Amino acid sequence: MLALFALVGGLLLGCFYALFAMGLNLIFGVQRIINLAHGDVVMLGGFLTWDLYEGFHVSPILSALVALPLGIAVGFLFHRLVLPRLDRARDVETMSLVLFFGISQVIEALGAIGFGPNERSLPTNAIPSHPIRFLGETFPAYLFVVAAVAVPLLALFVLYLYRTPLGLQTRAVMADPREAQAVGINTRRIAAITFGVGTALAAAAGALAIIVLSGVQPSEGADLTIIAFAIIVFGSLGNPIGTIVAGLIFGVLSQLAQVYLPAWSNLVPYVLVLGTMLLRPEGLFGRRTRVA
Amino acid sequence: MVRTSSPRKPRARRFGLGALSLGALSLVAAACGSSSSSSTSSSSTSSSAPSQITIGTAYASSGSFATSSVPELDGLKLWISLENAKGGVYVGAYHKRIPVKLIALNDQSNPSTAGVLYNQLITQDKVNILVADFGSVLTAPAVTIAQAHHYLLFDQSGTGIPFFTPGNPYIVLCDLPVSSIWPDPLANFIIDHHIKNVAIVYGGNDFDGSQAETLHAKLMAAGVHLVAYEEVPTSTSSYSTIISSLAAQHPGAVLELGYQPNDTAFLQQLESSGVHFPMVFTVFPGQLLSLFESQLGKAGLQYTFTYGTNFFNTYTNVSEGLPTKAFLAKLSATYPSAVNTLGLLGYNTGLVIEAALRNATSLSQLALRNALTEVSGHLTTVDGTFAINSEGAQVGELLPLAQLFPGSGNTVELKPVTPPAPSIASAVYPAP
Repeated sequence: MLALFALVGGLLLGCFYALFAMGLNLIFGVQRIINLAHGDVVMLGGFLTWDLYEGFHVSPILSALVALPLGIAVGFLFHRLVLPRLDRARDVETMSLVLFFGISQVIEALGAIGFGPNERSLPTNAIPSHPIRFLGETFPAYLFVVAAVAVPLLALFVLYLYRTPLGLQTRAVMADPREAQAVGINTRRIAAITFGVGTALAAAAGALAIIVLSGVQPSEGADLTIIAFAIIVFGSLGNPIGTIVAGLIFGVLSQLAQVYLPAWSNLVPYVLVLGTMLLRPEGLFGRRTRVA
Repeated sequence: MVRTSSPRKPRARRFGLGALSLGALSLVAAACGSSSSSSTSSSSTSSSAPSQITIGTAYASSGSFATSSVPELDGLKLWISLENAKGGVYVGAYHKRIPVKLIALNDQSNPSTAGVLYNQLITQDKVNILVADFGSVLTAPAVTIAQAHHYLLFDQSGTGIPFFTPGNPYIVLCDLPVSSIWPDPLANFIIDHHIKNVAIVYGGNDFDGSQAETLHAKLMAAGVHLVAYEEVPTSTSSYSTIISSLAAQHPGAVLELGYQPNDTAFLQQLESSGVHFPMVFTVFPGQLLSLFESQLGKAGLQYTFTYGTNFFNTYTNVSEGLPTKAFLAKLSATYPSAVNTLGLLGYNTGLVIEAALRNATSLSQLALRNALTEVSGHLTTVDGTFAINSEGAQVGELLPLAQLFPGSGNTVELKPVTPPAPSIASAVYPAP
């Protein structure tokens, strides 16, 4: 049944979307920064994956793991070097929009210069590609592979956030930065670490994005950021669990739209944002935003 | 009282001088007057030739159309470099060669940006020749702008049917057949092979929409049942659910009409889905074969169908430009990454411009258009025979349907399976 295919396929893809949007939500939750370069980091993760496969035949599954420490390091360093000035702005949220818009443009331009104009794709046999029979339907293997990578990464992240001292401090900063500082939490250090973690999640999602989107190109960042933004708004800004649920729902909705309204399927993120703003501005999970 | 002069004589002298001055002024005004149907920069009613012929175009260095747009621009640049090596392009109106200058502006695959750039090329840069970017999506903004400014648009590869209307002389399709006839070989193949159930999935844009519209009309008229006729957004990259939906209809042929990113995603996800269709057609493998080979390999491409292109034909007798072998050698040496169909199309655009400039009586836009009407049917290049109808749509340069057969290693071979082609292979249907 097509509806069953869309539901299962949507849930599997939703795991990817949840991972993909989580980094954006985490950074916003801690620092109230709207990282408009989020999609470009995903794009860079995709190119890293392509380069590793072309050069060394590294599987995209491994590339997602390689991207994690790289993302943490790059994000942490970037935060330390660039963002202290942003903290001193009167309106951090607005200034972050301007700053990261510029960064997004720079990354896209450098990407076009460095990687060229051609879309890069991985061959189908880069990951297990035999179709999988499930609940009476035949699914392409890549859906399960993507979910099999995204779910453990999300689980690791949730464990980090809810079961580690660093995660506890992160949630404290997300709840109220001033109070967290008052009790002795080094909010700047937490913000830098969180920025690194958010960047790492985006880069890891990039390794899966090249599979889900059947390719990567330098200009895809802006569209990806819009999708991620729609997911985190729908799930409640700053709420990680909300992002996971919203990602799953987004995956299912986009697949159902492909079945029943294919000509309108690319409107799903915009409809989600509009609907959320009109009907439940606090998102799925929140009476209060930025509550971990 | 003595009269020293008659009052009539000075008056007559003044009248004569006045008439002479008026006549001289009129002659000067006539000589300086400009044509009402062309912009100032392209007027040729002044007696001196321009120091250069400026060609303006938009191209996409990034985004979803960059893969096709960049080599197409490179092909045009090749033509320009070859002409400038001879001292410029021959302009018949001035009986001399005039150097060519190219102004190429980057639209980043964004139609809105392309529209702004086309306007700039006309109103600010005042180019002599206006050339569109690759494909219908990026050509569409240029069509109305060119018509409004009375500029002839050299449409390279935008084959969308809505572009060509009666009463608009300001467009000429240079390099590909218009979409109202381009799919004919595909439709005829389906009809001839008695394929009864056909599924069509097409992108929501002028090119794919026109192709789908033509196929829909021809197949329905022949009694072929369309089990699916679905429009999807041009940016679609997820086809798994669509493929599953099509499989449930058991079509005898699936025609996916999209741009290169669409075709790549569709074929990759088809391969990984395990679904098998007796016939699969996509548009772009024929135009960017080496790219698709690197993305899909033999397993993902073999026995699929695509449009053949003149890149795979050899033209030795041409009336304009280089014959095929010489052209490919020049292109390989100068722009090795553009050695594909798109590079050929861009070069052919240059040849069409050359024919227009050679035969036009002036540099006015309508004179260029009239020149192309004159050479229509008589201009043979590496892209076949240039022939346009009264609306400027290309009705020559016809292309066959082709199939991709397993080749050596991980490659495939493109072979035409319908006319027009020098040799025709036997199609394999259904695909094994």
